[in-house]
Amino acid sequence: MTSTLFKTWLERGTGFALPVVIALAVSAVVLLAIGESPLDTFSLILSESFGSARRIASTLSAATPLLFTAVATAICFRAGVFNVGVEGAFLIGGLAAVVAGFSLPASLGWALTPICLAIAAAFGAAWLWLPGWLLARLEVDEVVSTLMLNFIAAAITGYLVNGPFLSAQSGNNVTPPVHEAAELSRLMPPATLHSGFLIGLAILFVYAIWARRTPAGVEGAFVGLNRRFSRAVGISVRHTIILAMVLSGVVAGLGGASHGLGQLYRYTDGFSAGYGFTGMAVALLGRNHPVGMLLGAVLFGALASAGTTIQLFSDIPLDLVNIIQGIVMIFSVVELGRITIRRRARA
Amino acid sequence: MTAIALGASHVWKSYGRVQANRDITLAVAPAEIHAIVGENGAGKSTLMRILQGIERPDRGHVIVNDQKTEFSGPAEALACGIGMVHQEFMLAPDLSLLENLVLGDEPVRGRGGPLARIDWAAAEAQGRELADRIGIEVDWHRRSGSAPVHIQQFVEIIRLLRRGTRILILDEPTAVLAPQQVNELFDLLRRIRADGTTILFISHKIREVTALADRVTVIRQGATVFSAALTETSADEIASHIVDGTPPPRAASERGAPGDGVLEVRGLSALSVEKSRQLRDISFTVRAGEIVGLAGVAGNGQVELMEALFGLIRSTGSVHLNGTDLSGLRPDRRRAAGIGFISADRGQEGLALAASIEDNVIAGSQRQPPIGKGWWLSRRALRRVALDRLGRLSVRYGAARDKVSSLSGGNQQRVVFARETAGTPPLLLVSQPTRGVDLNGIAAIHAILLDFRARGGAVLLASEELDELQILSDRILVMVDGRIAGELAADADRGEIGRMMVMEGAA
Repeated sequence: MTSTLFKTWLERGTGFALPVVIALAVSAVVLLAIGESPLDTFSLILSESFGSARRIASTLSAATPLLFTAVATAICFRAGVFNVGVEGAFLIGGLAAVVAGFSLPASLGWALTPICLAIAAAFGAAWLWLPGWLLARLEVDEVVSTLMLNFIAAAITGYLVNGPFLSAQSGNNVTPPVHEAAELSRLMPPATLHSGFLIGLAILFVYAIWARRTPAGVEGAFVGLNRRFSRAVGISVRHTIILAMVLSGVVAGLGGASHGLGQLYRYTDGFSAGYGFTGMAVALLGRNHPVGMLLGAVLFGALASAGTTIQLFSDIPLDLVNIIQGIVMIFSVVELGRITIRRRARA
Repeated sequence: MTAIALGASHVWKSYGRVQANRDITLAVAPAEIHAIVGENGAGKSTLMRILQGIERPDRGHVIVNDQKTEFSGPAEALACGIGMVHQEFMLAPDLSLLENLVLGDEPVRGRGGPLARIDWAAAEAQGRELADRIGIEVDWHRRSGSAPVHIQQFVEIIRLLRRGTRILILDEPTAVLAPQQVNELFDLLRRIRADGTTILFISHKIREVTALADRVTVIRQGATVFSAALTETSADEIASHIVDGTPPPRAASERGAPGDGVLEVRGLSALSVEKSRQLRDISFTVRAGEIVGLAGVAGNGQVELMEALFGLIRSTGSVHLNGTDLSGLRPDRRRAAGIGFISADRGQEGLALAASIEDNVIAGSQRQPPIGKGWWLSRRALRRVALDRLGRLSVRYGAARDKVSSLSGGNQQRVVFARETAGTPPLLLVSQPTRGVDLNGIAAIHAILLDFRARGGAVLLASEELDELQILSDRILVMVDGRIAGELAADADRGEIGRMMVMEGAA
């Protein structure tokens, strides 16, 4: 029994390490080609992302939105629902939280933050409920519907931040800042690491419990493995699909709220730097497993935070970091290829 | 004079760590009907793939007309005159039988090239000539999809002969046929043999082997263990080689003592089922302590009937279980009312192959105490219930956390039975319980069913194995074209059952 356990962990480990190792190898080739030393560069990236408490804080800060978007993605992927709409729910939840954060009375005090989070969760849930319902009832392909909803979310939030919610004080396309009471506290000032990271960890923990220790979580896994089987043992596939979408929306909405209330204090045009999609890569890299996703989020966070400083101290272009990120994504998407094959086999 | 039309000499083939063929030697004489028998997973399919040039052996070689041959691909095997009829027919269902006959090799009028016109008169003449030669009648203008299965099979055979096939390989050719059709097929094959064609057929029905073959080769665990002319061996001897020297098990054919009606079906019809046969006005009763067999040629509505009774497809009419009306309920409610469902499709519906054994054996109970308590699921209770269920049907497994796909077919099926009989439901709906299960596993599964009946359970059993139905059932319903064509005693003459199975449109 222990050996089975060991084997699964070994499989998971290779599934995680392989894309990373390949990405490093390819980057090494690129570095050699431009006449830089790979070892020096990698150690620079390492020291820039983990070299001091401040740098670690910056890495974790960059990892924070990815924790949410990865979990939001994993909830659906493990149920066989190919939801690519986390990005849209992240935007909607972020705007909802920020609008609540500056328009509700500041006199609510400490209660303001949880209210903003709840509103964001509700908006995120409603946003992804729609494609879930369309998939479960009318068999509308969720890839198409969620992808399209991302554009709609970007358009709606873009309109609102440029129109009704535009700040009168700022020249940029931003909303007014949220009340101070609504802000998530900074953990290590002056670093931007904020308590949204702790919320993200809590979400990851709750996800881990939900997946294995609740009937609904176990049913999600069954539906993801085999829909016909699930139906035959009496699991409602429709409910499970809709639930996965709604929970995904809740987590994505909370992620947007954490980003808005903890990082930016306002909603801006270009609120998300593709966190929904990077989160998808993290979920695939971590094989939907909580530990894997934590490591994946930290890895991508480290690359993002090192990338911004690395070109200050060397001749290495920022593009290198993008290359590494891209290659890790491509090879974690090898897993994605397996999901699509399963989708086809089911059809 | 050729001694070996088709053969294999010391063929080895492995897929990864699985040794599919180990030292297989086979010799099929010209114009001989040669049967290859063995359990599922014995390595028959691998050998066929090698003989057709689809796979290359790791060691050893194929022999064609006494020559050692190495095929570079299936086209080369085809050029050597080797053709195969697969279990699933390769006819385009929307084309006529004639179009299928010439598809890919059409006779043309005048010059060839891109503007050539197909000479349909010549095509039909060729078809008639071939059909006459082997003594069958074919309505060539019929749409393939609507032609009877045995006619489709004949056309497939004729198509190969037309292309110059001299060595015909048939993969379980009788699996989809009714008994009468089997006899027709056998007559046809004998005539083809008389014409000089060599025939190699795969089967796991000993009755067919003794009826048709000149010679038999038994494969067990990837190796040839026995080969003899049919005149020098017996059915019992062949059977003993298939299963490692032990004689085939015979289930006790004791009949049940039926009690009150458990399942009452009245006027059941399936509204519209895509691509499959509708159910029309089906009425019957299954009583406590009774196994009712459901016979029929595959595809006559047995699968749909089971799905309708379990609520997987919509239907009209009434279904009562112990007096409770189940009409319109979903599978979870019917399951809760007391129905166990053994799917014919074990790999896709009966089990989630990628999930662990324990998850598979408790699936469906995740919301019921002691496993599910409201929002919470107890992994410890789950493990305890799983081990209890697995133990009760003595499933052999390594660890409960292992994937269920690591089990043999028989043990996989036992996992399904362990789950479905766990709540001792009054009714079991069982489809093809021993498909892909080896002989020892079959005996165990029959014992489970008989035990279930002995405890007063009611069973509706659909099977394509008439032997199985006759051993287990108390009476047999025959399904034709989505309706119940009639009811027979379990010990009815096989010919009678067969005649009923091929009755057309019993309107």
